Amino acid sequence: MNLKEIKELIALMNENELMELEIERDGMKIRLRKSVSGKIETIAEGHVVPKVAQVVSQEQKVSEPAKPEQNLTAIKAPMVGTFYRSANPDAKPYAEIGQVVEIGQVVCIIEAMKLMNEIKSEVKGKVVEILVENARSVEYGQALFMIEPYAG
Amino acid sequence: MFSKILIANRGEIAVRIIRACKEMDIKTVAVYSEADADSLSTRLADEAVCIGPAQSSESYLNIPAIISAAEITDVDAIHPGYGFLAENAHFAEICESCDIAFIGPTPENMRMMGDKMTARLTMQKVGIPVIPGSQSIIKTKEEAVKTAKRLKYPVIIKASAGGGGKGMRVCHNDVRLISSLITAQQEAEAAFGNADVYLERYVERPRHIEVQILADKYGHIVSLGERDCTIQRRHQKLIEESPSPALDSKLRKKVGDMAIKAAKACNYLNAGTVEFLYDRNENFYFLEVNTRIQVEHPVTEMVTGIDLIKEQIKIASGMKLGFKQDDIKMKGVAIECRINAEDSEKNFMPCPGKVDMFLVPGGPGVRVDSHVYTGYTISPYYDSMIAKLICYGNSRQEAIKIMQRALDEFMILPIKTTIPFHKHVMSDTLFLRGDFATDYVEKLLGTNE
Repeated sequence: MNLKEIKELIALMNENELMELEIERDGMKIRLRKSVSGKIETIAEGHVVPKVAQVVSQEQKVSEPAKPEQNLTAIKAPMVGTFYRSANPDAKPYAEIGQVVEIGQVVCIIEAMKLMNEIKSEVKGKVVEILVENARSVEYGQALFMIEPYAG
Repeated sequence: MFSKILIANRGEIAVRIIRACKEMDIKTVAVYSEADADSLSTRLADEAVCIGPAQSSESYLNIPAIISAAEITDVDAIHPGYGFLAENAHFAEICESCDIAFIGPTPENMRMMGDKMTARLTMQKVGIPVIPGSQSIIKTKEEAVKTAKRLKYPVIIKASAGGGGKGMRVCHNDVRLISSLITAQQEAEAAFGNADVYLERYVERPRHIEVQILADKYGHIVSLGERDCTIQRRHQKLIEESPSPALDSKLRKKVGDMAIKAAKACNYLNAGTVEFLYDRNENFYFLEVNTRIQVEHPVTEMVTGIDLIKEQIKIASGMKLGFKQDDIKMKGVAIECRINAEDSEKNFMPCPGKVDMFLVPGGPGVRVDSHVYTGYTISPYYDSMIAKLICYGNSRQEAIKIMQRALDEFMILPIKTTIPFHKHVMSDTLFLRGDFATDYVEKLLGTNE
């Protein structure tokens, strides 16, 4: 990975308002994290045997650049585990983009220690974004969905 | 050997374990609560997983969250550090059932030694002295006098249901014992709703001596010398040293052998510490076994040259101990001062907050184990220890000299710390003479008022 590529990664982070980015490629791994002051620092870099499951966290911004008046709420993971969009591989996902969810409606599963935990929405609104891919690991507090809340 | 270890802890011990893993080319996973997102361990580890909010019960004590983090990161083993889940037999069992190695003693070790009565009985059976006490509740004056005669004065009356010093009476003779018995029973009734009292021999002005042991899966057990942890405040250790200035080589061997005997008696595995009270008459009394790596382990590392965390990992991965008892030599003297975020001039009031300057002392004979760095904010959710300053010299005198120098260099600003307290001790005559008992801190602070 050369300096030009690293600079491109930093630009990518800033554009997408990411706090942390980890890339693994061709046996090389680099992790960049934005500190509180906004400066980006390299946390870890090195050769590694390719493996699955990096954990990437994303800063939640209240307003997206395109729609400054939009007021989005995140549904965050209440536990550590593996995120699944549907009850089983053959079932339909619990929530799709554009779908309206009610308070208490199941939006996904987080599996931990072989137990499937139904995760329920705490707001009523429209699913605007799904932030985690199916079968990826999530940590406590990680944002899973962005919801545009509906009043009432 | 393990290829990846999850550290189920925080603060300085998490950093310590990560350091050992790095030197052994083992990958590390740090778990952290939301309050610890900026901690040093999350930066040093290869991977970091947030497991819960600040409250320990929902993060560092949250077994499902920790096991879940271990599963998604696919680790081979978990090191629990000290505190939190380190002595939780249930947690150790869950690790086993999830095919994750637990780096520490067995659940049976923890259960046996966790129950103080069972621990005492186990030790008595193999001839290790425990503090002599009455076998049952004392109800009458006659019983009391008869028991005191057997135990030998001075004795202490203790409430069976008690704690916190309530219902305790020290008695030096029959007259005192008889008059105190009724009062003690009344106090116990008032404080705990239970008037039951028993008698124990009172060990006057004891020293706290503990022995570090290591045991592998093949039955090899060794002792790595003793630590003197007599300097405590409210039962919290402040300063530890190895070897103990109170023991000569004969006594050192005596207590070392007792510790190995104790470890054998409970089929101990991995690292552990056998604690004793030492009286003024060359007697050791078994107190308890700590089934974990301890905060003060660095002083033992300095005088033996053995890395205890690495040994723990090696033992857990099935390796034989690489040395025999005869190979272990103690050289020099090491002293550790626990630096806490407390104002030692205002009754040790906790002072969490942001550290703007963290300048660590250096030079020969200085070791600092800490998770703090310039710009780090010490949160109020966890214990107040922020650094361990360990100094090593060829003699006790030299170690103290180096400690004095290092304490002068150490800058932690603007928060208040216990550095002034440690400086005071390092220049105190009694401490310099090595002559102190568990009432040392009380006396030292008392004279300041």
